Amino acid sequence: MPDFSPEDNKLALKVVFYGPALSGKTTNLMQLHSLLNPERKGELMVLETRDDRTLFFDMLPIGLRSRSGLDLRLKLYTVPGQVQHDSTRKAVLSRADGVVFVADSQVAQQDNNAIAFGNLEDNLDKVGLDIDTRPMVVQFNKRDLLSVVDEAELQSRWADTPWAPLAMASALQGKGVIETFRALLDRLYTVINAEFDLAGKHDIDRATFISRLSASHGVGNA
Amino acid sequence: MRSFEDDPTLSDLLTPDQIQRLGGALSGLCREPVAISENRTGDAVPVEFNLETVGWLSGGASDGEREAAAELVSFLMLFVAKYRLAANIHHDTTEASYAELQRQNEALKASEAKYRDLSDQLQQKVDEQVAVIRQTQQELYESARLRSVGHLAAGVAHEINNPVGFISSNLRVARDYVKDLEPLLPETADNRELLEDFNDLLSESIEGTDRIADIVADLKTFSSIDQAEHSLCDLNSLLRSAIHLIQTEHDHSLSIMENLGELPRIPGHPSRLSQTLFNLLDNAAQAVGDNGRILVRTLADNTGIQVIIQDNGCGIPDTVRSQVFDAFFTTRPVGSGTGLGLTVARDTVRAHGGQLTLDSQEGAGTRVVLTLPVKQGS
Repeated sequence: MPDFSPEDNKLALKVVFYGPALSGKTTNLMQLHSLLNPERKGELMVLETRDDRTLFFDMLPIGLRSRSGLDLRLKLYTVPGQVQHDSTRKAVLSRADGVVFVADSQVAQQDNNAIAFGNLEDNLDKVGLDIDTRPMVVQFNKRDLLSVVDEAELQSRWADTPWAPLAMASALQGKGVIETFRALLDRLYTVINAEFDLAGKHDIDRATFISRLSASHGVGNA
Repeated sequence: MRSFEDDPTLSDLLTPDQIQRLGGALSGLCREPVAISENRTGDAVPVEFNLETVGWLSGGASDGEREAAAELVSFLMLFVAKYRLAANIHHDTTEASYAELQRQNEALKASEAKYRDLSDQLQQKVDEQVAVIRQTQQELYESARLRSVGHLAAGVAHEINNPVGFISSNLRVARDYVKDLEPLLPETADNRELLEDFNDLLSESIEGTDRIADIVADLKTFSSIDQAEHSLCDLNSLLRSAIHLIQTEHDHSLSIMENLGELPRIPGHPSRLSQTLFNLLDNAAQAVGDNGRILVRTLADNTGIQVIIQDNGCGIPDTVRSQVFDAFFTTRPVGSGTGLGLTVARDTVRAHGGQLTLDSQEGAGTRVVLTLPVKQGS
């Protein structure tokens, strides 16, 4: 749920990176932290880990300030993917405005993807959100590995869902991460603009929203 | 309650003591003392955390010192906040898990109560079924016993029928012979007396054989050995046989008034209906004792047949009236009653699609009304 405080003219949005264990959610966030150069960017907070596995969550705050003075914040969270941390996942997922589902492309991981997706659906339901209407992007990560499911097959398998087309990524190599994030911003904008009239009241149109939140180092952006 | 994801304020992260200590340490590093506060003052620079200004740092000898000190505080804040965030989400999830556990516990308790209820109901059902099985078993035994007794009676009746037949016919012939002998004897007072006596003797014997024949006929009707299992029954004739048998059992001492109307024949099991009528009459006979009256009435209309057996005997006490149809319930001394008479009667009547109602007043008598439909089913 967008958190708007009129007294500060501050709009806080929440995006959650969800997915099975070891699918690269934290890697996505770390890459965004180093690749992105948005207008405002906070510290990447990597909370406790054990053996490189997320125990609580990671969080990266980014933001922009519109000409109208709107302080727009976007907090990017990851959830712990391991099965036993379900209550933490649920807590992090509550009030999410957008979701990036990071799936593992490896053939052997398809069952885990399905289980995690079912878990996402369940948990969204438990925190009162509907998976079909929530802005969401499904990313198939680890495209750099050898034993991955063919992209064409994945795209056709998901073609009839609200989440087509899928985003392909190799987060470890920084590929597809920003594209995934931009696709999410695009879907998120539709919903947020409908509620808060970003374009009308705050002079933030779709292109501005996406480019100012996902500007990257080096390569120039609109 | 604050959610773990709310942006923390300076006082959320550090206690006043810690803020003071931090200020003191930073003052030691700077040429001029610095102060950290949640409120902005004069030359203060913002202390930022997560894009949020959590406090203001003032003092120091130069902008550079202030900036460096603020940066140091921000840096420290990151680690404090990390711990705080982890602690908060841990707290949140623990609370949520506990709430969930409590909810599950409640659900478990509810389902346990439900199953206990179900188990009780099940036990009750089992008890009921056991009672039904026991009763059915007893009835089966009873009806098997009755059937064998019936067969025996029918067999005996059949065997007796022949000798009784020729005894009766011989006696009649003998009486004719006596008539023939009468004119041949000399007319003396002794001879006349002897002949009269002889005649009476033969007449009484004929009467006796007639009675034997009647009883045999009743026994045959009662056991229905001549009839198919299911046939058209004449309730009046079944009733007459039953009355005859009950009279025989009581040495013809009972005062039974018959008022039998015209009845259509109805389909049914004659032997079971006979048994039912006998049971009802037997109850009435037991109730009236030696000097009561039993009224037996039958009538029919276009819906059904009614058999009313009314006595002016001892009646049924209020306290046991609800139990009289229960199997094995009896008020008679042990060994003299099975407690099945009314049970079997009611079951039989129900099996014929009819009803058995009982109306009784203690000390005044009992009236049993047996209703049978004229047309059963199809």
